[in-house]
Amino acid sequence: MDIQEIIAFIALGIALAFLIKKFFFKKRKSDKNCSSGDDCGCH
Amino acid sequence: MTNQNINVALIGNPNTGKTSVFNQLTGLNQQVGNYPGITVEKKIGFCKLPNNVKANILDLPGTYSLNASSIDENVVIELLLNKNDKLYPDVALVVTDVENLKRNLLLFTQIKDLEIPTILVINMADRMKFKGITLDIPYLEEHLKTKIALISSRKNFGIDELKKLIVSYKTISSEPCLNASSIDPEYFNSLRKAFSNQLLYKLWLVITQDVNFLNLERNEIRSSFTKSHSDLKRLQQKETIKRYQFINDVLKEGLKIDTTIAKDFRSKLDRVLTHKVWGYVIFFLILFVIFQSIFEWSKIPMDFIDGTFATLSTLAAEELPAGVLTNLISQGIIPGIGGILIFIPQIAFLFMFISILEESGYMSRVVFLMDKIMRKFGLSGKSVVPLISGTACAIPAIMATRNIENWKERLITILVTPFTTCSARLPVYAIIIALVIPDNRVFGFLNMQGMTLMLLYLLGFGMAIFSAYILNKILKIKGKTYFVVEMPNYKLPLFKNVGINVIEKTKAFIFGAGKIILAISIVLWFLASYGPGKKFNNAETIVTENTKQNPLSEAEFENAVASQKLENSYIGLMGKTIEPAISPLGYDWKIGIAIISSFAAREVFVGTLATIYSVGGSDNEVTIKNKMAAEINPVTGEKIFNFASGISLLLFYAFAMQCASTLAVTKKETNSWKWPAGQLIFMSGFAYVVALIAYQILK
Amino acid sequence: MQTTIHSLKKGEKAIIKDFDIDIVPLKLLEMGCLPGNMVELLQIAPFGDPLYLNINGSHVAIRVETAREIEVEILKNNL
Repeated sequence: MDIQEIIAFIALGIALAFLIKKFFFKKRKSDKNCSSGDDCGCH
Repeated sequence: MTNQNINVALIGNPNTGKTSVFNQLTGLNQQVGNYPGITVEKKIGFCKLPNNVKANILDLPGTYSLNASSIDENVVIELLLNKNDKLYPDVALVVTDVENLKRNLLLFTQIKDLEIPTILVINMADRMKFKGITLDIPYLEEHLKTKIALISSRKNFGIDELKKLIVSYKTISSEPCLNASSIDPEYFNSLRKAFSNQLLYKLWLVITQDVNFLNLERNEIRSSFTKSHSDLKRLQQKETIKRYQFINDVLKEGLKIDTTIAKDFRSKLDRVLTHKVWGYVIFFLILFVIFQSIFEWSKIPMDFIDGTFATLSTLAAEELPAGVLTNLISQGIIPGIGGILIFIPQIAFLFMFISILEESGYMSRVVFLMDKIMRKFGLSGKSVVPLISGTACAIPAIMATRNIENWKERLITILVTPFTTCSARLPVYAIIIALVIPDNRVFGFLNMQGMTLMLLYLLGFGMAIFSAYILNKILKIKGKTYFVVEMPNYKLPLFKNVGINVIEKTKAFIFGAGKIILAISIVLWFLASYGPGKKFNNAETIVTENTKQNPLSEAEFENAVASQKLENSYIGLMGKTIEPAISPLGYDWKIGIAIISSFAAREVFVGTLATIYSVGGSDNEVTIKNKMAAEINPVTGEKIFNFASGISLLLFYAFAMQCASTLAVTKKETNSWKWPAGQLIFMSGFAYVVALIAYQILK
Repeated sequence: MQTTIHSLKKGEKAIIKDFDIDIVPLKLLEMGCLPGNMVELLQIAPFGDPLYLNINGSHVAIRVETAREIEVEILKNNL
């Protein structure tokens, strides 16, 4: 593997980590907020 | 504590120019975010005051009183009741409009009861002469127990005096200006005895409001001091009357209006803008102009951005040392970033128009004009605002439904708003329209492409209204219905306010959606550049084998290898798997990939196609548009983007629910997975059927 | 029949007398819709609903169904 390929794969890793965080973790966290707190935006 | 910034909270009724005051104090030193856990916009700015004092200015959501009826208003109360909050104000500025002083002071007297040092900011003072208003400032300051800043955020005067007042906040009284507990002395006395270490008004708010209170045992307070809902409301009415009596007494001496001087510009404009014929004509003319200009004006900057990034991409490929990273940059990252930046012109124009409509006070007239009609479809006049701002983005639009008082009307508005043509659909529409609709003019002035765009917008609105009608018939929800909308004064929109709004919203879009688009572009590039098995890895050998009889020129050979590789890459295999489901709609596997990635965000469509075609396409065409136009179906020899498949794609994007963030907001606002799931299944299913029918008829 | 805000003609002024506190929203009270205050009907929307009022100096629009609940006394000489 040359240096270009290594950097490219690091970029892929960052992109994947970002997407997973954005679409999976964030949602799960906000669900928790909603079930435990009594104020979740509507009546 | 000495070198810490002081916290200043800006509080006020809607339409008092609170945000202009905020902009005047902070300029572009603003941070817009959300309050944790909820989607209420949180605006903090920084301001340098005299004597080297620095201040954090917090712009709280507009509210008519501390009796909250929405989560935006809850934010105000939660902050003002929680002394441990790191934004708890050292000083509160209550912004009022000199023409509505009486009503605006209601909130002021409530804030005073919280015993926070409070400055009364009387805004729009430039209109006093015009309206024949004179104020006795020393008298008002004495009786309201405050300091008054007479300013005009429009004409930019009084701001320096206001800054000086903020610096001297320690000398400003934090005493209440009236004794509201006299409405029921017995009740309040016992309340005071039971919780002697708490502020009486604070306890009263805990009893009457549904907000989170840290450090206060709501259940304990409530169980011993509960009253029936109706009794509480009666007490709240008494409280309101009490406050108004006080305000009337103070204003009787402190404010004089010479009605002979007052000129009435408002009623003349109202007569035209809410007229039963002209009102609607003007409204539709305004919408027409907006949509025509979005398309016409953004064309030049969009073509420029598209061209620039194509050049950059070529340059990067030529100048950087050859290798995987260079390919990723020139085929994945640069087209990806271009795919984000290309939306800036259209989004900026759209936000500008919406901001002007709201700033000028015209939006309330539209609400008034449309209420009766909208109610036939189970919506409210107030649904017009989300439906129009849905043309920018469904997410803030769904949040804007919060001021719809009736739950059924609000729910229906939330469910149908994603049908309106949001700005993320715009680039998809723009590129497909440019490919399949001729750039001709009808009657010499109507641009056919612009007309198609307008039709798509109308289709979005039409579908929203139609589904609302159906939902209104199906949903059985009863609730108290009421409708109160303030009709503000007409104002010339301030360039500064509109400008800041456009910059903030566009920035939020670029950095919010932009990061996702960029990440997806990178992932897509990898999926398109690597593949499993022999068919991908031995592409050169396979092509050489297949073309043994009639050898290709060097360029032709390279292209053939590239497309062989793309077809057998990971993404190619994914596309091929779903091709049977989408080929009846007229799409090939490449469009299929773009549609799948659109579920992260619609605007990814263009970027995805850009990436796919950059990896596999011919080198002759440079811009995305030209690459798409050159795509040919290898089986039929027809263009991929022809009239039938183009229309089918337009319809699919018009109706399909393809936005994960919108689903998340719907979930948050309705507090249930049921509604976003319904949106996803119904909208996408409908989109598939309509696109299928359209393609089969047109092909 | 009771005289309510709904009975007003365009341009007519009246004094608010009484209303059912359980029906009329608190927000309207905060806008100044309280017994003794003056109300003027400024505009009627196309199709007769909602009504655009000046209540005690506040300009608000409300629906007919709410207007019907607010009893008023019309000022005859239209001061």
